[in-house]
Amino acid sequence: MDDLLADFVAETREMLEASSGEIVAWEADPSDTARLDTIFRFVHTVKGNCGFFDFPQLEKLSHAAEDALSECRSGRREPDRALVSAVLAIIDRIGVMTDSIEAGEECSADGDDDLIAALQPGEITSVVGEPKAAAPQQAEPADGEDDAAPKAARSNGVQRSIRLPTELLDEVMKGVSDMVLARNDLARRLREAGEQPTIDGPFDRLSAILADVRNAITRMRMQRLEHLFGSLPRLVRDLSNELGKQVMVDFEGGEVELDREMVEMVRDPLTHIIRNAIDHGLEGPGERIKADKREIGLLKFAARQSGNRITLTISDDGRGINIERLAAKAVAAGIYSQAEVDAMSQRRKHYLIFEPGLSTADEVSSVSGRGVGMDVVRANIERVGGSIDVASKPGEGTSFYLKLPLTLSIIAALTVGSDGQRYAIPRSYVEEIVFGSSDHIDFAEAGDRRLITFRGKRVPCLSLTEILGTQADDAMDWEASTLVLVRLASDDIFALAVDRVYDHEDVVVKPIAPAIMDTGLYAGTTLLDDGRPMMLLDLPSIAQKHELVNEMRSATRVPEEETAEQRKAQPIMLFTGLDGRRRAVRLELVRRIDTIAREAIDIEGSRVQAVIDGAIYPLAGLEHGELTADRCRLLRLSDGDSEIVYAVREVLDAAELEGEVIPSDADAMIEGVALIDERPVPVIDGHALFARHSGGQRKAPPLSCRLPADSDWARTILEPLVEAAGYRIAGDGDEESDVAIELAEAPAVAAGPARRVIRLRHEPDAPGDGADSIYRYDREALLNALKQARMGETA
Amino acid sequence: MNDLLLMCMVAGRRAAIPAIRVQSVIEIEDITPIPGAPAFIRGLTALRSQALTVIDCSVALGFETAQAPPDQRAAVVEIDGHLYALLVDAAYDVGEALSDPIEVPGGFGAGWQAATRGMVETDGGPTLLIDVEALVSGPVSQAA
Repeated sequence: MDDLLADFVAETREMLEASSGEIVAWEADPSDTARLDTIFRFVHTVKGNCGFFDFPQLEKLSHAAEDALSECRSGRREPDRALVSAVLAIIDRIGVMTDSIEAGEECSADGDDDLIAALQPGEITSVVGEPKAAAPQQAEPADGEDDAAPKAARSNGVQRSIRLPTELLDEVMKGVSDMVLARNDLARRLREAGEQPTIDGPFDRLSAILADVRNAITRMRMQRLEHLFGSLPRLVRDLSNELGKQVMVDFEGGEVELDREMVEMVRDPLTHIIRNAIDHGLEGPGERIKADKREIGLLKFAARQSGNRITLTISDDGRGINIERLAAKAVAAGIYSQAEVDAMSQRRKHYLIFEPGLSTADEVSSVSGRGVGMDVVRANIERVGGSIDVASKPGEGTSFYLKLPLTLSIIAALTVGSDGQRYAIPRSYVEEIVFGSSDHIDFAEAGDRRLITFRGKRVPCLSLTEILGTQADDAMDWEASTLVLVRLASDDIFALAVDRVYDHEDVVVKPIAPAIMDTGLYAGTTLLDDGRPMMLLDLPSIAQKHELVNEMRSATRVPEEETAEQRKAQPIMLFTGLDGRRRAVRLELVRRIDTIAREAIDIEGSRVQAVIDGAIYPLAGLEHGELTADRCRLLRLSDGDSEIVYAVREVLDAAELEGEVIPSDADAMIEGVALIDERPVPVIDGHALFARHSGGQRKAPPLSCRLPADSDWARTILEPLVEAAGYRIAGDGDEESDVAIELAEAPAVAAGPARRVIRLRHEPDAPGDGADSIYRYDREALLNALKQARMGETA
Repeated sequence: MNDLLLMCMVAGRRAAIPAIRVQSVIEIEDITPIPGAPAFIRGLTALRSQALTVIDCSVALGFETAQAPPDQRAAVVEIDGHLYALLVDAAYDVGEALSDPIEVPGGFGAGWQAATRGMVETDGGPTLLIDVEALVSGPVSQAA
């Protein structure tokens, strides 16, 4: 439905509700002029609004009621019961019509004339006001007997909306957050108490419901991008008129939803990009025709959601960014030297547009080029946790890519530990994580500044304990720390030494008191699962405080450039296996690195599993040697669906796989051998690894097994055993189960189709050759049969 | 003036917080310290899903911190949308103010002078009325 129409319906209904009390009061005392005024205002407003829409019936009715009421107000007519009834009938009728309008139905005009006629003074003598008022209701076919039913029936299938104060929404949201915390607390206690089937089931259900509710609440705060897009055509029109250009706008993805506050936050940056595009990007009509383009420029907006991020693309088909001029300006402004600019890639040069103090406009127009540049746009986008990128082709156009988090208050964070406490770091700043003990890290001191050498770069290094003042730097055991390489928006890099890195988490950030803000160390606070607060570090401010923002600029720039250009090479992770040999695995496979205690690894025959955070993972890599240390370092690999862990002796480094991987047939688990730093390194074959190890994974859909339907024995004794063997019990809804277990004694009733059948007999000794059935308490044979069934299925 | 006051003990003296400002009185179990924050901020604690800034009233008044108060009670107040837990030595009942807050010649001592709105008479004798806004902005010595 049209937005305006929806507003009209909502407003009319609101007034109806508000005036219903007045109507009743007026009925009790028709001479009450205050009530009369209220009702007059109502019909008057309805009549006025009808003028915008094409509702002749509604307009006729409200007009007639308005006329009659205005005569009363001017004193030319005494309101009496008949008039009151007639007006009330009309108001009821307006309510009914409003419902029909909302439902998009036609409302029959039957009886409208009677209603209007009832307003005439001549009708006074007849006491027919009431019956007449009721008449049109009855005249409507199949709408039910009373007033309420049709209303309710009509509203089905129509999106009803109500208006709520945002505070109420926030309150509900807070309540749900509380519930989630309480749930987490309860979950922890349940875990500690061990498995309790009677409680775990309902608890899981509760968790699922809570997750749904939380989702729904989050959606309440969302707004379609249409609302933002809606205001843009006008802006574009005004700007293009001013600049003498013709611009057409195109929108895509208006249905994508974004947090209301986020929509407001991107409005200004977006406006700025549009201004730039129209002013600098798009050519004038003459120039466009010369360039063999359409006279009218095109400005395109596209929004797309991927995961919990929104990508907003703004593209024009103008002349593109003149990178030579941009580079020349950067040199002229003294931001970069000519040599630095020459060494830059195209992409990097485009990125110069976000440098402060650069404008490609030679002349300052009224619209842009006034110093507020793209650097401010970038800063604003990054402030809300987003990022901006640009791509441009000379003569073909420029595109800006805005990546935004779905909500302002939820950010992706890395949790780190320092001095026994946890802190959160916005993940967007985290470039890489390395262990201080790694061979590739050298610690050095230059004056009071501690530096690390990492991949040939010298990067300043700070320890979190020193930043927070909890521990002096001298007491720091650098080798034992984990280094988080932080890249700031200004492209400055520094290393932050922490005790350990915990996890990636999406955290809800809440503001902190001004006195804590003043420390310049924290940007907000968030609550951990157990309800304890955790501080979010304000890295840009910390870097500023330690004067890291400028001093390393020139030193980091050039090497950085190289890595940017090598992006196309495949990243891999180097490690030494348990046998001490170097191996590599493709970095995309690696989800994280875990360090677990030896006890958490369970080896039984060929089945090797590791327990991490309460989940069981198949463990690979043991074929190269024994686990020796008390603590084992594991690579957690993921193929998207399932995860396995790979035991290693040490994680060495991430590297670029530049050359080809030379295939090797010798070992099925090796994809081939690659040359890394001029040394041959076997690369693990992820495909073969997952093929071998993820078969028995819990995440793989379990096979189904059908049990004899009406046997208590099957339900109480067999079922737990079958489930323990990794099967799902087939329900009535399952068409065909993978395995069916039947009781030999029972008449062979086909419980349902199955691919394999296992028959159980009562007696230990088989009556015949015993090959086709298993004694029902022969646990081993039964499990074997189930296992074979599974092997047959998965093979 | 019959305002209700939350009677409490701060830095060994009788003090009162306007009851209308107090959302609740809580017992604080865990405090997450905030390294780098001024001393009068003891840290954060969580009340349901909200983080409260824990203010050590004694320190905020410019006194030495009370050595781990036996009774970790705190009054929860909201200032400019932020929730604070005002940690006091002890929290008693809610009582009535029997007089308007008045100044006393010579003042109440530097710390008290800055963070109180004067002295009120109560059933329990003269009591200093705490100015919560002034209290959460920290001791005078730091502000100056």
